[in-house]
Amino acid sequence: MATAPAEATAQGNGAAPPARELIDTDVHERALLEDLLPYLEPQWQRYITHYGWVPDRALPYSQPTAGGLDRADAKPGDGRPGGSDLGLLQRQLLDEFGVTHAILTGWLNASSMQEGWVEFKTALMSAYNDWLVEHWLERDERLYGSVQVNSWDAEAAAREIERLAEHPRIVQVMLYSGYEAFGAPRYHPIFEAAERHGLVVGIHHSENSPTALGRHRYFAEWHTLVPQVFMSQTVSLIFNGVFDRYPDLRVIMIEGGFSYVPHLMWHADQQYKELRHEVPWVKRLPSRIIREQVRFATQPIEEFTAAQLETLIGQMESDELVCFSSDYPHWDFDSPEESLPAGLNQDLARKIFSENARAIYRRLPAPEAARVEGVAA
Amino acid sequence: MTAGNGGGAGPTVDVGPAAELEPGQMVPAQLGDLPVVVIRDGEGELHAYVDRCLHQGARLSDGRMVPCVDGAVVGDYREVEGPALKCPWHGYEYDVKTGCVSFDPRRRLRKVAVAETDGRIVIARRKEDLPAAAPTGAAG
Repeated sequence: MATAPAEATAQGNGAAPPARELIDTDVHERALLEDLLPYLEPQWQRYITHYGWVPDRALPYSQPTAGGLDRADAKPGDGRPGGSDLGLLQRQLLDEFGVTHAILTGWLNASSMQEGWVEFKTALMSAYNDWLVEHWLERDERLYGSVQVNSWDAEAAAREIERLAEHPRIVQVMLYSGYEAFGAPRYHPIFEAAERHGLVVGIHHSENSPTALGRHRYFAEWHTLVPQVFMSQTVSLIFNGVFDRYPDLRVIMIEGGFSYVPHLMWHADQQYKELRHEVPWVKRLPSRIIREQVRFATQPIEEFTAAQLETLIGQMESDELVCFSSDYPHWDFDSPEESLPAGLNQDLARKIFSENARAIYRRLPAPEAARVEGVAA
Repeated sequence: MTAGNGGGAGPTVDVGPAAELEPGQMVPAQLGDLPVVVIRDGEGELHAYVDRCLHQGARLSDGRMVPCVDGAVVGDYREVEGPALKCPWHGYEYDVKTGCVSFDPRRRLRKVAVAETDGRIVIARRKEDLPAAAPTGAAG
């Protein structure tokens, strides 16, 4: 690892993103339910228009922030939520910060909801994916998409992955976490399909994810404890043998930060050493599995000093595990210019801003091709 | 109230009519290349700061003026003297009188000189550049 510090931005206090390539691994586009009606068969339209279905929301509070779920300045102003206006997203994120590749992670995902009306939700995910392709992926070459799936019917989810994998700008399969751990064998068809098509599986938390002790009395408690969800999902995938069964699979944990990772590695390794006979299908130390197959998106990042962040990365024994994410347009958006500390090692900053994501999102066009496309556009 | 633009102007910038900025309101302005937020606190006094959150650089003028809330025990919510300026992104709150972030008085927004003169709000980088009328907020 080189020692030259990254330059601070002209205006800001953070480590500057590289001029050449900036990959944002968590950007939320958003559809209203009414936007999806044209993509649904009439029988499924009625679930929305006649039966009043709305997505589950198990959180007993809303976000007590300046703008609710969204940045106060990221709402289009016509009553629609943040992330619903392509032009605003282009101005506030892609153009302002020079994001070259934005991985769209969506908003509506049946995997985080309770089981029920499974067939309708599977159709709804297909509708969402069709809407995504038409209204986002085919309108800006900097945007890359995720297949939203309903994990409650994993075989149908695998078929949906097959269907969308043909699109060259689809790079990921999204699983939003509710109260189920995704390592269980019933979910394996999803990982098998993702691996076969070279798609990353992105696991994202949701308002339906509890903490280890439920949801607590205050939003600040619940939001502090979001990393627990990702520890649970990572452990579930490891000890249920997902990574051993699908060795080319890559999984990224999105919107839980990464400061918990050293603890998780150390603790899981110790359990494996002591209890390996209970899970004999796991063939590698958990920390090695993580280094080889799991990545972590940065947001929401803490206010680290460069020394603190470099120490944390050192404890992971790899500088290839962390990928930049902004979480645009949500209220805890992390700025590409200021979320990493000033003075951060330049090589590490470059890896976080682009190289680590590029290494796992193998369906992204090669850098040279991307540059030529950009010139042509 | 319409924000002053002041791009590349002289040492002072006219932000607009003083009467249009009421207590508890703020307005963005531009002092050359410096983004500024001008605030009238609950007692009518003007304050001006560089319009960038100390955390990640959001324009504070896109945020909200919110009541200051205090409490001594669980369940005790009391509005106290305010308002506070809340960042549009992560919600860091600033004392509009001091520019200090609520959880750490050592972190303070950079002040911009501001005055109310002849019914207009005027800002400048240095208080010496303000019109002769008494400034209501001095750069420091």
